[in-house]
Amino acid sequence: MAHRWGSALSVAPLLVLSLFLAGCPKRPATMAASAPAPGVATPPPAAPVAPPPASTAPESTPPAPAAPPAAPAPMPQVAQPAAPVLPRPSEFADNANLKDVYFDFDKYDIRPDAAKILDANATWLKANARNLLLIEGHCDERGTAEYNLALGERRAKSTMNYLVGQGVAASRITVISYGKERPVCTEKTEACWAMNRRAHHLVKAQ
Amino acid sequence: MSLRSARPLLLLLAFALAVAAGGVLSSPRQARPQAAPPTPDVSGDVIASGAKKVTIAIPDFTLAGGSDPHSLVKRVPEVLGNDLNFSAAFTVLAGAPALPANNPGALKEAWTGFAAAGAHAALHGLLTNRGDRAEVEMRLYDLTSAEQRLIFSKKFEMPVAQVRRLSHKIADEVVLQYTGELGIADTKIAYTGAAGGIKEVYLMDYDGVGSVKMTTTQSINLSPVWSPDARSIAFTSYMNGYPFLYRLFAFEKRQMQLLAGYGGINSSPAFSPDGKSVALTLSKDGNPEVYVLNLSTGALRRLTSNAAIDTEPSWSPTGREIAFVSDRAGPAQVFVMDAEGTNVRRLTQGGFNTQPRWSPKGDVIVYTSRQGNHDLWAVSPDGSNPRRLTAGPGSNEGASWAPNGRHLVFQSSRLGGFQLFTMLGDGSAQQLLTKGPGEITSGAWSPRLP
Repeated sequence: MAHRWGSALSVAPLLVLSLFLAGCPKRPATMAASAPAPGVATPPPAAPVAPPPASTAPESTPPAPAAPPAAPAPMPQVAQPAAPVLPRPSEFADNANLKDVYFDFDKYDIRPDAAKILDANATWLKANARNLLLIEGHCDERGTAEYNLALGERRAKSTMNYLVGQGVAASRITVISYGKERPVCTEKTEACWAMNRRAHHLVKAQ
Repeated sequence: MSLRSARPLLLLLAFALAVAAGGVLSSPRQARPQAAPPTPDVSGDVIASGAKKVTIAIPDFTLAGGSDPHSLVKRVPEVLGNDLNFSAAFTVLAGAPALPANNPGALKEAWTGFAAAGAHAALHGLLTNRGDRAEVEMRLYDLTSAEQRLIFSKKFEMPVAQVRRLSHKIADEVVLQYTGELGIADTKIAYTGAAGGIKEVYLMDYDGVGSVKMTTTQSINLSPVWSPDARSIAFTSYMNGYPFLYRLFAFEKRQMQLLAGYGGINSSPAFSPDGKSVALTLSKDGNPEVYVLNLSTGALRRLTSNAAIDTEPSWSPTGREIAFVSDRAGPAQVFVMDAEGTNVRRLTQGGFNTQPRWSPKGDVIVYTSRQGNHDLWAVSPDGSNPRRLTAGPGSNEGASWAPNGRHLVFQSSRLGGFQLFTMLGDGSAQQLLTKGPGEITSGAWSPRLP
């Protein structure tokens, strides 16, 4: 149980910190134009994420309320500190040398069988140091979407922490949780659920 | 006294007894002018499955002007009749032919007949079509009074294209007259619809009609929730690769707004009751914690500080407390804290409990409990009286309250893939709401529309 918390707490902030320090070369505005938020002296920096796709406006608007406010209040603009610039998940690809690891139900600690797999993954990653690593955390379909989002992230971070403990540089690693949204198996059996409770590795050349 | 003339009196007597027994409904508001008290922190559930219902006769509407190519004289009463049946406060007697206009004798004869058939109330609608706009004057009669008293009338006018909304508004007004609180027919339900590995946010009328796709991100979108003014919907989206939090404006041509795009997860939004801030889950500091985001300044306030998972905040209607989920004590449980993050106390015991949703009336919190399958439970905010609302089959989860604090929408896999269902707050009247396409999840009931 000590393992469950200890390494996660020591390393995870490093990831976040390193990502923040990576800085932010481009700052496309993602906020819709609106009056400055009341009480904010200077315009808040736009969050440095890629702008939403052009088609984010509803393709058709449902019947509006009969009496929409004649003069809509200025949309509050949410100030944000610089968010990390993360490589897009779609830039990463599977690699046959990196195997998935599996987790027990509602758990995110690294099992002994998973540790052996991660040892091999770490060896490959250290020998191929030009590759950035994306670790996806996944859950089975039981449990609610929101909780599984948190659980999936815990699994990805446990995996990352183990690899870092084996000498893989934390700065090469990004984690993402898909919760229960991307199962590899959709039958309602324990065998299938066990396959979905996984951390998956993808790489991208630096 | 002839039998014919005695019958209304007997009905009146029976009705009075029913009111006394039910204690809640069946009394037009005019008879209780102070029927809508100021909203207290906690108010009782006045419509439960066992309560007496008002039987209301709704003949086809009378065409008072213009032509009626879309047969609105039938469509409007049909839609609002369904609303009133759904409200659980009324039983509708429908399908009678329209009454002639300006004919008090015919009206009296019809009402006398409906009263004899057991109706306590009658709704007469006079519809005037003016090109692409429709006007309806609703007239509500109390059939339990000997003189069949007109107790309420009101005119509504709307584009013909929004005739369902016009119908819902009339239904809500009828509910107001008899319960002291507006009905919930003029509301929407947001949800996520899945197809081929992507999930988009959709919107439909509360009765499942008229779905509109609100996002076209070709990605995963999760957990839509409404702002208290019913104008915007916050949700988690992977549209930019990572789970960030956005909001869209449901009825305005406005671009989406990024609310939180930090490293890690940005999820589980819940607008504060005053609409000024959003409680959310961020893992930017290494671990999922509950924060509050001030929407005008962008300031973040961290509420939890724990090595465990803390997520799924849900505000009390006063804004003074927040229920949330944590696995700090083992399997996930529902906790409650003050809105400042202090005074944390555990609400649920046993099993694996997530998705707390505080009733807009304040008196109850529904949540999803896993004990084998998932089922919906309810508990008082002090942790007392946990009770099961659903008992399978399949998983029943993700409840969202209607603004009256009486109806719930939730997702169930009882028929196979997830679809949305509705029920009353005591678990009764469970019924299917959606029929695909694909799996439909994360139903979010809107506040009353402005």
